[in-house]
Amino acid sequence: MAKPVDQMKRYLLTGVSYAIPFVACGGIMIAIAIAFVPMTSTGPDFSDSPFLKLILDIGSAAFSFLVPVLGGYIAFGIADRPGLVAGFVGGYIANQVGAGFLGGLVAGLLAGFVVLSIKKIKLPPYLRPVMPILVIPVISSLIVGFVMYRVIGAPIKDLMTFLSDWLRSMGTGNSVLLALILGAMISFDMGGPVNKVAFFFGAAMIKEGNFAVMGACAAAICIPPIGLGLATLLGRNLWSDEEREAGYAGLAMGMIGITEGAIPFAAADPVRVIPTIMVGSMIGAVIAMLGGVGDHAPHGGPIVLPVIDNRLSYVIAILVGSVTVAVVINTLKKLSRTKGKEATA
Amino acid sequence: MKLVAVTACPTGIAHTYMAAEQLEKTAKKHGHTIKVETQGAMGIENELSQGEIDGAELAIFAVGIPVRNMERFAKIKIVEVAVQDAIKNPESIFSKIG
Repeated sequence: MAKPVDQMKRYLLTGVSYAIPFVACGGIMIAIAIAFVPMTSTGPDFSDSPFLKLILDIGSAAFSFLVPVLGGYIAFGIADRPGLVAGFVGGYIANQVGAGFLGGLVAGLLAGFVVLSIKKIKLPPYLRPVMPILVIPVISSLIVGFVMYRVIGAPIKDLMTFLSDWLRSMGTGNSVLLALILGAMISFDMGGPVNKVAFFFGAAMIKEGNFAVMGACAAAICIPPIGLGLATLLGRNLWSDEEREAGYAGLAMGMIGITEGAIPFAAADPVRVIPTIMVGSMIGAVIAMLGGVGDHAPHGGPIVLPVIDNRLSYVIAILVGSVTVAVVINTLKKLSRTKGKEATA
Repeated sequence: MKLVAVTACPTGIAHTYMAAEQLEKTAKKHGHTIKVETQGAMGIENELSQGEIDGAELAIFAVGIPVRNMERFAKIKIVEVAVQDAIKNPESIFSKIG
């Protein structure tokens, strides 16, 4: 029997392996669409490009399956076919309540273990046929759905309000500290509630004429996917074929400022990946802040260069942050690999 | 003879398990030992290990959908029949394989 940690990792990887094609497919389409329209002070402008808008919509549709598929197949990894319904439903609700991919991980794990324990109940043979398609999906979805809406979903709104009040109260006095916090928030859950608060704060400051806050966010936004994509290029033997594919997609998504491109990596190995990308984004955000980078669009990544002040500092911020992520994560992976070898020897 | 088998039907709630039962019963009658893996709506149950498959002489697939984890059966001779045949006429399967 494998160790519980390895077992858990296998469950997460099952989910990730099914989610990667959705992220890659959706991400590339979104990247192509955004890359070919003008970047304006209100973000990418699709008003003259109905066809690119169509590609964006198709890509967004594929992308929206990321969290449900992640939840569904994590549950599948744990409890096999009966786990699918509750996992997908939980993942879908995670999207609905804005719980992001961390919500999807929780939903998948919860669904899997709930179904696993229902499966263990011994029943007389004549009742067995109704279990997998009726009883298990209904009961497990009710439990997972309740937890996702009431236990996890409800406090997320409060958390977001709390965090944005807190950011506002900090003001822009200590800009380096603010950049550190924003960088950490952007990378923590990649498109989840914490990330959204930081992003909306940056976007709101643009309206107040402060472009520096969004500048720091814009650099932080693209560092996780670019850094991890870079890591798969630098340490090719450290990553599986699947992860290298996700790496290319991550690079493309990073270029147009979609932090979610890092999710496959973070979901597969949250303990190592999340702190690493947080550090990378914090470094990038601080360099951008100190370098006087300003971003006039509520959007991040190299794609916004046309509306950036102090472009050189912006590029340096992204490069330094991304290289940090790549080097640190590859070193961590190497260390764990040699440690693993000693343990099995 | 030592046999292994997999049963799987599209819905996976009744026929999968009926076929498994028939295969077990009929195999016993003919003096074979058999282990039947069911790939139903509950997922994979009574799972066949690689060792069990390698130790068997023949694999019977009574399936209406593709078999999961097919790579386990790369080296063994496979007899594939419809799920219905295993339920209604298991004798004919065993008379064929002797």
